[in-house]
Amino acid sequence: MKLWELYKSGTWVEPFLMLSIGLFIITSIILYVLIISSRSRNIRRNRRLTDYNKIIENLMFSVVFQDMPFSEVKKDENFHRLMNNTFFREVLIDSIMNLHKNYEGNYAEKLERFYKDSGLIKDSFKKLRSLRWEVKCKGITELSEINCADAFDRIIKASQGGNKILKITAVNAAIKLGGTKSIIYLIKYSYPIDDWTQINIINAFKKHDIGDTKGVELLLESQNTTVIALGLKLIKELKLTQKIPYVTKLVANAPNTLIKYEAQNLLQILTVK
Amino acid sequence: MTFVTTELSLFFEEYLFLIIGYAVLIMSSYLILAHLSTRELREYLKKNSFVDYDVLLTSEFAPSLSLIAPAYNEGFTIEENVKSLLSLNYNNYQVIVVNDGSKDNSMEILIKKYDLLLTELDIHPKIETKKVRGIYASRNAAFKKLIVVDKENGGKADALNVGLNIAQNQYVVCIDVDCILDKDALLKLAKPFLESHGKRIIATGGVVRIANQCVIKNGRLVEVNIPDKMLPRIQVLEYLRAFLLGRMAWSRLDGLLLISGAFGAFDKEIALLAGGYSTKTVGEDMELVVRMRRYMLESKIPYGVSYIPDPLCWTEAPEDFKIFKKQRSRWMRGTIETLSLHRKMFLNPKYKLLGMISVPYWTLFEFLAPGIEFIGLVITFVFIVMGLLNWHFFVLLVLFVYFFAVMFSVIALYNEERSYHKYPKQTDFFKLLIAAFIEPIYFHPLTVYAALVGYKEKIMGTKGWGEMTRKGFTKK
Repeated sequence: MKLWELYKSGTWVEPFLMLSIGLFIITSIILYVLIISSRSRNIRRNRRLTDYNKIIENLMFSVVFQDMPFSEVKKDENFHRLMNNTFFREVLIDSIMNLHKNYEGNYAEKLERFYKDSGLIKDSFKKLRSLRWEVKCKGITELSEINCADAFDRIIKASQGGNKILKITAVNAAIKLGGTKSIIYLIKYSYPIDDWTQINIINAFKKHDIGDTKGVELLLESQNTTVIALGLKLIKELKLTQKIPYVTKLVANAPNTLIKYEAQNLLQILTVK
Repeated sequence: MTFVTTELSLFFEEYLFLIIGYAVLIMSSYLILAHLSTRELREYLKKNSFVDYDVLLTSEFAPSLSLIAPAYNEGFTIEENVKSLLSLNYNNYQVIVVNDGSKDNSMEILIKKYDLLLTELDIHPKIETKKVRGIYASRNAAFKKLIVVDKENGGKADALNVGLNIAQNQYVVCIDVDCILDKDALLKLAKPFLESHGKRIIATGGVVRIANQCVIKNGRLVEVNIPDKMLPRIQVLEYLRAFLLGRMAWSRLDGLLLISGAFGAFDKEIALLAGGYSTKTVGEDMELVVRMRRYMLESKIPYGVSYIPDPLCWTEAPEDFKIFKKQRSRWMRGTIETLSLHRKMFLNPKYKLLGMISVPYWTLFEFLAPGIEFIGLVITFVFIVMGLLNWHFFVLLVLFVYFFAVMFSVIALYNEERSYHKYPKQTDFFKLLIAAFIEPIYFHPLTVYAALVGYKEKIMGTKGWGEMTRKGFTKK
C-alpha cells in the first residue's frame, strides 16, 4: 500500500533509483566474492588433485604391476585415510577408468578386481540409481568401462528413457556389454532416432569390435524408418555382406522411396565390393 | 512566463519518466536474456561433457563441409592461415580460399607455397557474382582439400557467393581467413546438423573471442592473455557479454538473428535458395541469417538455427579508435540495412517469434538505442543551459545506468568463470574487472559515437567496408 502511495504521489523516482543502485552494487559485490571463492576453490581442488594423483599412481602401480592384493592395499596409510573422502574416491575411479582404457587382458582384469574389492563399484551403481541424468550417465560409463555385466539390464532400462544424452550413453554401454541384443528393442521403438544417435551407435559397434552381428537385420523390419536407416548404416559401415538377402527384401518392401534408394545404394556397394 | 516554466517542468518530468522507462526496459531485457543464457549454458556444458566428438572423425556419415575463406590483401599471413585451415580436426571437408581481387601478392604466395595449378571445375553458378579469373587446385596430394579461387574484387559477400557456387559439399562454413580456429571447431559446428528431429537445421554459429595479445603457435592458440591496451581489453569483456549472456538466450528462444561472419555454418541448399549473401549490405552475415529464416518461415518448412557457446574462433579486435570506429559504424549500417530490407517482418505474427520479438528487439535496442542516447544527451544539455536540470536526479540516473553496466559485466565474468575459465591468471581477471568499471565511461560513449557515424554514413549513402588494417597476432 505504501508503495502505491509513493507511486501516486510521484515521489517514487528517487527511492527507486537509490534502491536499484544499491541492488546493483550489492549484486556486483556478491558476484565478485563468488568469483574469488570459485577461483580459490579451484586452486585448492587442483592442489588436492595433484596430491591424490601421486598417491593413486603409486597404488595402481603396485596393484597392476606388483600384484599387490587388496588386503595389502587396505593397509596403506594414505589409502586407509582417504578412502572415505568422496573426492579421493572420484579421482581414484577416474584413474582406474583411464588405466582400464589403455590396458587389456591380465592388467585390465586386475583393475576390474580392484574396482570391485575396493567397493568403488557400489559408487557406480549408486550413480546409476540417481535421478539426475548426468550422474546416471557417469555411473553407466564407469560400469560399462569395467565390463560389469550385472549392470546390463539396468543400463538397457536407462537407454529407454527420454533424455537423449542418457540414451546414447546407455546404448553405447549396452552395446559394449551385450552386443547386438542391446539394440533389438529398437525394432519397436516409436520415436525418431536422429543421425547423431545413429552415428554413436555405429561407432560403439566399431569401437568395441562387436563380432556377432546376429539380429542387426531385424532393424530392417521396424515400422520406424529411422531404425531401418540405422540398420542400413550399420550393415554398410560394418560391411555385413551376409545381410544382403535382408537388404534385397527391404528394397522390395521399402516403406518409402528414400529408404528404397538407400537400400538399393547399399546393395550396390555390398555386391560390387 | 510562469506558463512556459510550468510546461517545461512538465516536459522535463515526462522526459525523465521516459528515460527511466526505456532504461528499465532495456535493463530488464538484458537480465532476462542473461538468465536464459546462463541456464542454457549450464545445460549445454552438462550435456557436452558426455559427448564424444571423435565419432565424427571416424564416421563416413559425418556431414561434408566446405570452408569458404574470402581473402583480400592478406599476403602477409595467408600462407600460415591456410595451413591452419587445412589442419583442422575433421575428415570430410574442403577449403575454398577466395582471393577477392587482392592488390598485394596473396595469389602469388598461394600458387607458390601450395603448388597450385589452374584447373577446370564444372561449375554451374546459382548466384551471379563478379568474374572468376581462375580456379586452382594443388598438385601436392597433401593439399588435396584446398581450392583457391581468383576473382575480380567484389567485396566479402561477393567472394562468399563465389564460394557458395563452387562448394561441393552439403554444408558451408564461412569464416574470416585470419581467424584462429579451435582444432575441434568443425566437429562441434557439424554436430547440430545431425540432431534435428523433423526440422532442418539451416545454420550453426559459434562464439568468437578476442585474441589480441594471445600467443599463437602453428596457427593454433596456445596461450590466452588479456590485452594491456584498454580498447581491445574492453572488447574482450564486450564479446563475453554478447556471446555468453545474449546469443545463447536468443538461441534458446529460437530467435537468433545473427551468426557472426567470422565463423558460421550454413545449409548450402537453403542458403542458395534464399539467394546467397546480399552484396547490397555491409551486414551480409546478419542479413543472410534473417533471409534464410524468412525463406523457411514463408515456405512453411520446419527449421532450426543452432548455436555453440564454446569459444571456437578467435579474432583480432581493433586496437585504435580509427579502425574501431570504422568497424562499429559498418556494423550499424549493416543493422540498419538488414532491418530495413526485412521491415515486413517487424511485429508481423506471420514470422512468429522472429517477427514479434527478435526484429523489434533489434530495432529498439540495437538500431535505435544510440540515437535515443544521443537525443537524451542533447536534451540534458538543453536543460543544463536553461537551468532546469535537477542535478540530484541527474546524478542518480547516471549512477543507476553506470552500476547496472558494471553489474552486467561482472555477471558475464561470473559466467565465464563458471563455464570456460579461459582467463585463469589472477592478473587477467583483475584487468577485466577494471575494464568493467571503465567500460561505461570510456568504451560505451565510443560505441555510441561510432554508431552515430554509422547513421550518418547510411544517410549519406556510404557503401563498402573501408580498409581494415590488422596488427597480426603474437607468434611463438
